Amino acid sequence: MMDMRKKHPGAAKVAPYCYIAPITLILVTFVIGSVIGSIILSFTKYNIMTEPIFQGSKNYVKLMSDIKFIKALKNTLGLVVLIVPLQTVLGVVISVFLVANRHRFLGKLANSVVFIPVICAPAVAGVVWRELLNGKIEIVEKFFGLFGIQPSMLLGNARTALITVGMVAIWKWMGYYVVIYTSGLLAIPDTYYEAAKVDGAGKVRCFLSITVPLLRPTIILGIFLSMASSLQCFDLIFNLTGGGPNNASTTLVVYAYSKCFGSGDAGYAMAISNILFVVILAVALLQRDMMKRKTSEVS
Amino acid sequence: MRTDMRYVKKGLGSILSGLVLIGIIIASIFPFLYMFLMSFKSTINAHDLDFSLESSSLMQYQKIFALDDFGRYIFNSVFVAVAGVILTVGVCSLAGYAFAKMDFKGNDKIFLFLIMTMLVPTEVIVIPLFLITKGLGWLNTYRALILPLPTAFGVFIMRQAILDVPEDLVDAARIDGCGDLRIFFKVILPLIRSSVLALSIFTFVGAWNNFLWPLVASTKTEMKTLPLALSMMKTQFNTDVGLTMACAVINFLPPFVFYVFVQGRFKEGMTLSGMK
Repeated sequence: MMDMRKKHPGAAKVAPYCYIAPITLILVTFVIGSVIGSIILSFTKYNIMTEPIFQGSKNYVKLMSDIKFIKALKNTLGLVVLIVPLQTVLGVVISVFLVANRHRFLGKLANSVVFIPVICAPAVAGVVWRELLNGKIEIVEKFFGLFGIQPSMLLGNARTALITVGMVAIWKWMGYYVVIYTSGLLAIPDTYYEAAKVDGAGKVRCFLSITVPLLRPTIILGIFLSMASSLQCFDLIFNLTGGGPNNASTTLVVYAYSKCFGSGDAGYAMAISNILFVVILAVALLQRDMMKRKTSEVS
Repeated sequence: MRTDMRYVKKGLGSILSGLVLIGIIIASIFPFLYMFLMSFKSTINAHDLDFSLESSSLMQYQKIFALDDFGRYIFNSVFVAVAGVILTVGVCSLAGYAFAKMDFKGNDKIFLFLIMTMLVPTEVIVIPLFLITKGLGWLNTYRALILPLPTAFGVFIMRQAILDVPEDLVDAARIDGCGDLRIFFKVILPLIRSSVLALSIFTFVGAWNNFLWPLVASTKTEMKTLPLALSMMKTQFNTDVGLTMACAVINFLPPFVFYVFVQGRFKEGMTLSGMK
């Protein structure tokens, strides 16, 4: 080996670059290339068929007065506000409950099946839930009837469409958060709870004074994951409502998609996507900041 | 007397939590139960859900496989997912190896640069990605569906796993006269099997369930994948619930079967991305 190195002094230095070249090429072409292309082309009038024409910030100025864009932005943020708190609270509560019952057969079964919606394609979840909510299935009608809800009205009504999409999203990803919170919960030493019990603390007290504070870093992670995934939601919406009725469930991704592939206005569509990108980056930076602060607080 | 009360209380609590557990189980699987049951119904436009299997038939499955392009959709989905896994594991483990075990100029900087691309979700760049693919003349090709699948996340996972491989083993192999590639195949890969499996599952399910990118990149019928076929079916055969559900079942089965067999690994693989 040593001899080899002496013979080809360059070989050892070139090899690592060869190993990282394929993935670098892929990511630079598709991801970096796309980001740069998106930024440049968002300043042009571009309908894919003809050459792009530079027109300054016209697309971005137009966004400000585009009622549909404002609505899509509101819907996107609305979906986050709808999903994140419920997803987090339900996720933590269900995880605590499942961890407490983890030695029972039913607990094990529930822990396994709650993950099934996560593995299925969003397209499957969307199509099946659309069928379930079509108002023709008696057992579903009866169940929703208990809460005074008519399922057939949920997806077709502009007031409830987005909320329904949010609920299906929460159902779909619950198992994911259960896995994350469960691993956080199992990392809390049993001795803490035993000591609290000796001191006469009840279950609620234990939850609030031990579980929640110790699970905080995991909860913060869960909140950010939930935010990122709800900002990007597309497949579910496409298959549940298609963005309707009357754009009631059109988010920024859906709106950009329909602007590009429906109206052929690619330059404008990329301006929409870039706004969403800025929001996502802001969330990511906030996450990094909070996670960092968290670790520096501890040390 | 007091202990009796405590037992009663405990028993009641156990029954109550049992009921809640059953509630969670039903909420998780009911839509899938419905999907399966409806796919075995023969009558068109039957929405009634009954749990008897008396009138069940495989008619919907016969019908769906008789559709012109259905075999093609299945092939496309399988081919893209399998090729995607091979490509991802290949390029990511190779890069992970270089980043973890090799000293070269810019190691950290290039790694960080690649990791930065994880901040960019597909949903945000799908339009320029379409334009690049179109520019390359790759629309409606397998290349377009497969090549964008590997991510920096895969590199991250592989690098992490390879960092755990003891330096001594690598040095020992080197003294024995192994070159870099032999060390990679003979020493590193066998030791990071479980991470490779987790990344494979993660990639397979991601590619199999992928929707937005194929929707954009495959405009021709013969290049569509199963989730697209399912989505189209919803509009095409809106009245034929059984047929749509049979398609949904076929879509659902591969990830589900994987999950049943390698549950732990599966959860690890699927949630890896969040555990950064």
